[in-house]
Amino acid sequence: MSHREIIKKYHSKLEKFDSDIKKLENNNELHLVLNDPSKLHELCKFLKKDLDLRLLTIICCDERKLNHGFKIRHVFGSDVDDFFLFVTSSIDESHRYFPSIYDVFPSSILYEREINDMFGLMAKENPNIKPLILHDFPNDVFPLRRDFKLSDDVKRYSKQFEFTPITGEGVCEIPVGPIHAGIIEPGHFRFSVLGETIINLETRLGYAHKGIEKLAESMSINDVVFLSERISGDESVANSIAFCQAIEKIAQLTIPQKAEQLRLLFAELERIYNHFGTLGGILTDVGFPYGASRLNILKEQIMQLNERLSGSRILFGINQIGGVKTNMTDKMLIDIHSVLDDAFQIFEKIFDLLKSNSSVMDRLRNTGIIEKQMVRDFGLVGISSRCIGIETDARQTHPYGYYPSINLKQKTPREIMEHQVELQKRIGDVLSRFMSRVDDLRQSKDIIDSITALKDDGLSVSIDDELTPYSSGLGYAESHRGETLHWIMIGEHNSIFRYKIRTPSFSNWPIIEHAVLNNIVADFPVINKSFDFSYSGNDL
Amino acid sequence: MKKNTDKTNHLIDMSFKSVAIKDPLKMDDTIAANYRGYVMLDPDKDFVLNDETGKILEKSCPTHAITYQNYDDLKIHLDNGKCILCGNCQVKSPELIKITNKFDLAKKRRDDLIETFSMYVPYGKTYDELGKELKNKINKIFGRSLAIREIDAGSCNGCEIEINALNNPIYDIERYGITFVASPRHADVLLVTGPASKNMERALKIAYDSTPNPKIVIAVGACACSGGIFGNNYATTGGIDNIVPVNVYIPGCPPRPQALLYGILMAINKI
Repeated sequence: MSHREIIKKYHSKLEKFDSDIKKLENNNELHLVLNDPSKLHELCKFLKKDLDLRLLTIICCDERKLNHGFKIRHVFGSDVDDFFLFVTSSIDESHRYFPSIYDVFPSSILYEREINDMFGLMAKENPNIKPLILHDFPNDVFPLRRDFKLSDDVKRYSKQFEFTPITGEGVCEIPVGPIHAGIIEPGHFRFSVLGETIINLETRLGYAHKGIEKLAESMSINDVVFLSERISGDESVANSIAFCQAIEKIAQLTIPQKAEQLRLLFAELERIYNHFGTLGGILTDVGFPYGASRLNILKEQIMQLNERLSGSRILFGINQIGGVKTNMTDKMLIDIHSVLDDAFQIFEKIFDLLKSNSSVMDRLRNTGIIEKQMVRDFGLVGISSRCIGIETDARQTHPYGYYPSINLKQKTPREIMEHQVELQKRIGDVLSRFMSRVDDLRQSKDIIDSITALKDDGLSVSIDDELTPYSSGLGYAESHRGETLHWIMIGEHNSIFRYKIRTPSFSNWPIIEHAVLNNIVADFPVINKSFDFSYSGNDL
Repeated sequence: MKKNTDKTNHLIDMSFKSVAIKDPLKMDDTIAANYRGYVMLDPDKDFVLNDETGKILEKSCPTHAITYQNYDDLKIHLDNGKCILCGNCQVKSPELIKITNKFDLAKKRRDDLIETFSMYVPYGKTYDELGKELKNKINKIFGRSLAIREIDAGSCNGCEIEINALNNPIYDIERYGITFVASPRHADVLLVTGPASKNMERALKIAYDSTPNPKIVIAVGACACSGGIFGNNYATTGGIDNIVPVNVYIPGCPPRPQALLYGILMAINKI
């Protein structure tokens, strides 16, 4: 179905609300403008029950300068159609409250807390309105409001963060972080344990908050590409693709086929080196250094390949608006194929070895189990949802770039059946996540193998005209963690008015608090690594 | 039983010879020629610095690492501590900017990371001779093992990837007697990354105070040296040295494992 037909389908389904809403279209986005914000709750119930949509993110934007007050956009997506639904409601400045939808979409709690921190607008019924990102900031400082200046010096004072008290006979608290024992990013975990068993975990993140969204508003759009690469260092290609695609969507730009091919190749290389690293990390955490070392050698080989191809070991500086910066010759393509062939040959051997090693398998199996219901409730994406048999993949539901054009080998009915059976076996434990990553790796290899020749139509096109001020667009890409969404509203003279980033890490983090319950403390590192969330991508 | 022997065969198949790099500090073909490691001011003969070319250069840098000055003489300053190695300046001004694959960039003083090109002293020597001198001094340094505590003060985790790579079998830093330890109380060296987010300020101070004397702090990456692309804003402090004293600066975005090792070697020279 084309975008137009899909939009039409949803148009007709939403007829019931015609008197309360105004509909606007933008490519594969349908925007509903609510006249009365109090209708939001009713609409959300309808979207969930009848249209089977899921909440992707909530975007707040300070449009007081344009006399619109604060705009809150609830973004919904479908699992089957390439379609995004924006529900826009306006909040007056004097009226500091907006309706919470946590009882329909529980994942909204997190977004509403974020808006409370950054804009000072409160979701009235939200049961948990603790600070999320800003630590020790005064109560009247809201960084993402337009009247707050980037370099404003904020006087901070020491505040005690209140963790939910867990009491009872024999219950102990273990505080961990923000500085961890390993070489990882900062975050605080507060465990409540009964003996060895974890009975509650509360996470407190935000330590890596660098003001990325605010910073983007002071930069030119070409420079923000570099910033988007540094949202999370290991997701640089996926995040910059999502950013560039959002701008290209606003500018109605079609980029050369070769540029799309290169974006795809680098995105898959990024997926491969990160999955090798994560699988190695899981093995380190269960005490199997032999396997970990082997996988880390593979990771290093892919990173050296990255360096030969692009001049950066973690693929910084690939993308630019309108295409790519890095050229690739046919010789380099052969290099990719030969390095990957060798690496995967060794990988399959390591994988066979691991499958037959009971000390590894015993630690992975039945550890850190999550339930199917949680995928919907928390809005999980990527590996976290695939590990329980629910396939969410932006490359399939929202095909972008060169992905629709690749020809993968047709699967035989038997293979499809086998795959379905395999999915049913996934119970959401560490082993399932391990296997999902292995699947992902093999799929990436197939995708890269399917590109045997590069097109010859240039690397990039440039935007000559100034973009229409206050036009907006949603960019998306599938990183190795899951679907990443970048929403951009253009300001005057090609500046950025608002840059909202929702990384897969942000929507997935809360699941860790549930996955560790009834596990022992010693299993926490391996459970955490099996999800492999980015702290920096969460805190922005 | 037969199956078991098959598995041992797998093991034998995979155990090839040692994969470790022989001498990580030697420039050789393990580093790609087009790797962006170090931005250098190396003017061609016909390069002319004037208001126009200066402005172009200054504008080409997203992190304001390049500044152009026109007071008594025309000058270009290049701050490697702010450089994120995007390569934009080389595209805009290939006559002056050369990007090489060098990695021996760590410096003991923040100011040493700033390179200047003046119109009236053309083809002047670059500051990195100091680095070379230090490199020559470094021999027989690992008489004592060194314990490092890594602290992420809000980095994008690009630097962490490279620090982790130091521990993989290819760079294998432990063969030099360098270990990463779990607590600052066990550490001689703090390896700090990130622009020092305000939220990490207190934790970093506590970790610094808990480290026993004598201690050495190494700032890793453009963010830790200067704030990098994030600069100094409401959420960041604009460099580690605004919070704790820094002994060695390792620029780069991110610095490759060789560059990290070079910086660590320089720090050891201090003990």
